[in-house]
Amino acid sequence: MKTNFFRLMLRQMDVQLRMRVLSLWSLGLFITQPVIFSAVAMFLSRAAGNTNPDLIYTVIGGGIMGMWSGLVFTSTFDIRADRREGTLELIVGSPTPLRRVVGFRSLLNILAGSTSMLAAILAAVLIFDYDFSGINLPGVVLSFLLLFFGLWCMGIFLANLLAWSRLSGTFVDLLEIPVALLCGFMYPISVLPGWMQNISTIFPIRWSLEAMRDAMKGMPYNAELLTKWLIALGISLVFLLIARWLDGKVHDHIRITGELHSI
Amino acid sequence: MTTEQKAITINQLRKTFKTRHGFWKRTTRVTEAVQDVNFDVERGELFGLLGPNGAGKTTTVKMLATLLIPTSGTISIFGQDITQHTNEIRKRIGFTFGGARGLYGRLTASENLRYFAELYALPPEVTRKRIPELLELVGLSTRGDDKVETYSSGMQQRLHLARALLHDPELIYLDEPTVGIDPVGARELRATIKNLKAMGKTILLTTHYMAEADELCDRIAIINNGRIIALDTPSALKNRITADTVIELKTSLEHLPALKTLLDQLDPLTSVTYTQNTHEEAVSIHTVQPGTVIELLSPWLNTDLVHNMEMRNQTLEDVYINIIQGDGK
Repeated sequence: MKTNFFRLMLRQMDVQLRMRVLSLWSLGLFITQPVIFSAVAMFLSRAAGNTNPDLIYTVIGGGIMGMWSGLVFTSTFDIRADRREGTLELIVGSPTPLRRVVGFRSLLNILAGSTSMLAAILAAVLIFDYDFSGINLPGVVLSFLLLFFGLWCMGIFLANLLAWSRLSGTFVDLLEIPVALLCGFMYPISVLPGWMQNISTIFPIRWSLEAMRDAMKGMPYNAELLTKWLIALGISLVFLLIARWLDGKVHDHIRITGELHSI
Repeated sequence: MTTEQKAITINQLRKTFKTRHGFWKRTTRVTEAVQDVNFDVERGELFGLLGPNGAGKTTTVKMLATLLIPTSGTISIFGQDITQHTNEIRKRIGFTFGGARGLYGRLTASENLRYFAELYALPPEVTRKRIPELLELVGLSTRGDDKVETYSSGMQQRLHLARALLHDPELIYLDEPTVGIDPVGARELRATIKNLKAMGKTILLTTHYMAEADELCDRIAIINNGRIIALDTPSALKNRITADTVIELKTSLEHLPALKTLLDQLDPLTSVTYTQNTHEEAVSIHTVQPGTVIELLSPWLNTDLVHNMEMRNQTLEDVYINIIQGDGK
């Protein structure tokens, strides 16, 4: 019996979609919340006298906020629910490594979260007549793919922390807003003090987000854009490697402490 | 018989849990859940693990199922060490835990089974054939397309069994499989377990129900406070206690002192236990001389002093209570 990755991915994503993603709660998380974020930010930004292309921060900010919150909440909820429902020990007790299950789940969670970006952009176009002409479209697409990849790597890393112990979910919940603020989801990172900017360098999404905004403002391919892409890719891979290293440790730790289930 | 031929070999197994309490002053509480447990299970055997709540049954099963790592000691499954060959062993074992947890309620039974079949990397053609067979085996073929959240606890328990059998494991752990199931459902499940044994599967069963263990198991280990305190065939266990007849009767609370005085005349080897209910006292007399007891009580039959008297042979439950109480003293 050999694992077929593609079949496992489809089955996992199918279960994930129907068990966790298709719900009113998720609709609020992935659509309503980012649209409200974007709209309020846009009103505030306009009131402050900003016009295109500065409004791009509010458009992308709403989208990334939905993707990030979606990842944090669904990842947290997934492992907690599996612990509570007794399915975590069935998954761990099967020959399929837990990392594959959480990897495919995170993929679907971020795919679902991508609807946030779409919703925020639609809100900008339809409600605020935002003009997207003059953008570096291939650059935007590549930046978005790197943003997606960075979030996926962080998702797998967080899932390992969540599996580690019953209490780690609280810690991961607390990461949501600080990471959003440190990575400058809705404003230029340059407005933050230096030490805060230094902390944010460890998050791959900060770099891909900056690259995406630059490309949306029409920045052509240059060394600055390329550097941001490479840093985003490099840090994402570091997160992935740490997650892979943690995976074996988590597998042993939860079986020593008996943290596979909760009542 | 060599170790390779045995399904399970456990040597000096021990599991300790450490839990930390307090915020400022951290204290560590150590719980010895399983202590120096040793036993073997032969291939094709149906082995029972009996014990009260918190005795260490589920912890032992979870270590056997690779879900917990032993603190010390060794476990071999089909001759392979469980910590060295974890993934190979997972392909050869199936397990269920009692209760309604462990299923995705918003999915149908078939969808649940398809998902777990993928985790065990079953080829699609095998999955397609196996799911209807298993649903038939556990009596859920007409409800396979219904969401699991609409199932009764008995149906969920049967679906657990189907899930555990998906990859056709050689060794199956059933942790309290009939808990929460009505008598008819429990009888059907016991019949399914007997079928599995007839198919050559090795089964380790934990249960609270002595009649179930007596009916199903080839051998039984009784575990209490994390230690195995008895291990034998059900009949050998029943022969362990010298008193082989049990006489049970009821008396009113007001006549209890008089009855106690009467029973004090019995042979000191005869054991009498009293259990108080709301309006009456249940008295259980374990004796090797039932005739003497009957002779003593017969003048008082069907009076307020002695009513509802019944005589029966010793059951596994009597043995279990005797062994557990003896271990506590």
